[in-house]
Amino acid sequence: MGRLDDRVIIVTGGAAGIGRAFADGFVREGASVVLADINGEQAERSAEEIRQAGGQALGLTVDVSDQAQTETMVAETLSRFGKVTGLVNNAAIAIRVRHTRAPLEEIPLDEFDRMLAVNLKGVFLCSRAVLPHMKEQGYGKIINMSSGTFFNGRENLVHYVASKGGVIAFTRVLAREAGPSGIRVNSIAPGLTASETEEHSLEEFAVRIPNRAIKRIEVPEDLVGAGIFFMSAESDFISGQTLAVDGGVVVH
Amino acid sequence: MGKLDERVIIVTGGAQGIGRAFSMRFAEEGARVVIADINGPAAEKTAAEIGEAGGEAIAVPTDVSDHESTEAMAQAVLEKWGRIDGLVNNAAVFQRPQITRGTVEEITAEEWDRVMAVNVRGPFLCCRAVLPHMKARGYGKIVNISSGTFFSGRSSTQYVASKGAVVGMTRTLSREVGDFNITVNSIAPGSTASDPERDESNYQGRVPDRSIKRVERPEDLAGAGVFLMSSDSDFMTGQTMIVDGGAALN
Ligand SMILES: NC(=O)c1ccc[n+]([C@@H]2O[C@H](COP(=O)([O-])OP(=O)(O)OC[C@H]3O[C@@H](n4cnc5c(N)ncnc54)[C@H](O)[C@@H]3O)[C@@H](O)[C@H]2O)c1
Ligand SMILES: NC(=O)c1ccc[n+]([C@@H]2O[C@H](COP(=O)([O-])OP(=O)(O)OC[C@H]3O[C@@H](n4cnc5c(N)ncnc54)[C@H](O)[C@@H]3O)[C@@H](O)[C@H]2O)c1
Repeated sequence: MGRLDDRVIIVTGGAAGIGRAFADGFVREGASVVLADINGEQAERSAEEIRQAGGQALGLTVDVSDQAQTETMVAETLSRFGKVTGLVNNAAIAIRVRHTRAPLEEIPLDEFDRMLAVNLKGVFLCSRAVLPHMKEQGYGKIINMSSGTFFNGRENLVHYVASKGGVIAFTRVLAREAGPSGIRVNSIAPGLTASETEEHSLEEFAVRIPNRAIKRIEVPEDLVGAGIFFMSAESDFISGQTLAVDGGVVVH
Repeated sequence: MGKLDERVIIVTGGAQGIGRAFSMRFAEEGARVVIADINGPAAEKTAAEIGEAGGEAIAVPTDVSDHESTEAMAQAVLEKWGRIDGLVNNAAVFQRPQITRGTVEEITAEEWDRVMAVNVRGPFLCCRAVLPHMKARGYGKIVNISSGTFFSGRSSTQYVASKGAVVGMTRTLSREVGDFNITVNSIAPGSTASDPERDESNYQGRVPDRSIKRVERPEDLAGAGVFLMSSDSDFMTGQTMIVDGGAALN
């Protein structure tokens, strides 16, 4: 008996990295998962691996910044699994999608726009797409992925950090708006996490270790327990909150 | 298979109210529970109920504000089970006995001292009593119960100040003991119907502020307690989790 038995959970950006770790954890707890990723091939490969291991998974090609695609994502989830219990807004321009790391004046305008379109408007669009169904169902669980960089004000990353601050504001408003319909909305703020180790070296992810209470590299699996908690009935009286899971860098 | 199998967890103030809900749920998840409460008979009663339900629990009458009492409590647990995995600092004075709900001028200095002795010195002493063992083992889970009133400021000063101190202690201690794989987090409940003698209608006042518009019950906090006592939260430390139906947003 798992803690997520009979739940259907969409994980955007679920093809790889933290999203993939969430998907694996959710499946272990009995959920069916939809991996919705702009990298559709990788999403399908990951879904196939989960099915091979005996889990229920669907891989979809979705750009979360495109309204029509987010609506198709929900329609396909409903036609395959009949319902949506949870949504993890995890897709982002973060590690795998390259972006400029530089002072504000050097951030290209189109890159700023794209960052906000994926990391913030994507959260808005995916939430918008699942809400009618969740409201009708009278129950739903949404996690929005923010970032420890919002608390730290990490320099040379203003477009990313602004998008992640927006995610927390969004979480709070939607929690109040959708609470009466039985929908819980929370946010997780990871620390720097080694979610990709082929193009990025482990040393890159080690730089934050000295700031932590627990002094080691953060890996995607470190976030899975919090993800399961927020997707399960265990957290049904929690909404509008942001949980920093970063080995104790920020104390929130 | 439970989420807390084998774990030995001390719940201070575990005899009644929220502490009792934690104790019952931890036992259901396979933990061996220590009910450390100043009210010995009530602690015995809760431990017996857990036993009848097939769980494992002992009552250790403890005054958390008393240094010797907390040391004796940790010693008794180690003698009984040989380990301490978790500590929930839940005991507090607040409604048993009822503290003054009033302005600063209405709160006596003696009451201030008593509230601080139980609500702040209590968690400090209990941490002090279990830390040598947790450090030696290289693992531990500590949860301090704060309050949503720390965020809203809606209660009397002696109580809210004590609950702010708990958050401060959580943050500092988390940094001190991270190297020993000990996590220290805090839960801030909203106004909770924890007194069975008071009807739920007495707890309606905070409902309109919430995202989830109903009365909060002790059981609503149990899931967060299980999460923070389990290995699922091993990379989370120093944090305060508000469990109040989405009233204060942190
Ligand atoms: N890794 C970290 O250090 C870290 C730290 C804090 C927060 N986060 C957040 O956690 C989440 C996951 O991070 P990660 O490290 O796994 O990132 P990642 O870059 O490894 O993976 C992100 C996934 O999202 C997908 N994606 C990107 N743009 C998309 C779009 N427009 N539509 C659909 N899918 C898209 C990518 O293809 C990829 O599979 C992100 O929201 C990120 O901001 C990560
Ligand atoms: N009920 C609420 O509305 C609410 C809201 C926010 C926070 N809290 C916090 O949650 C915790 C539990 O609250 P509750 O509502 O269950 O309270 P409660 O009064 O029902 O229970 C507190 C328990 O602590 C015990 N206790 C008191 N002094 C003690 C001492 N010196 N040593 C050992 N045990 C002692 C009591 O005997 C009792 O069993 C407290 O820390 C409280 O501040 C409660």
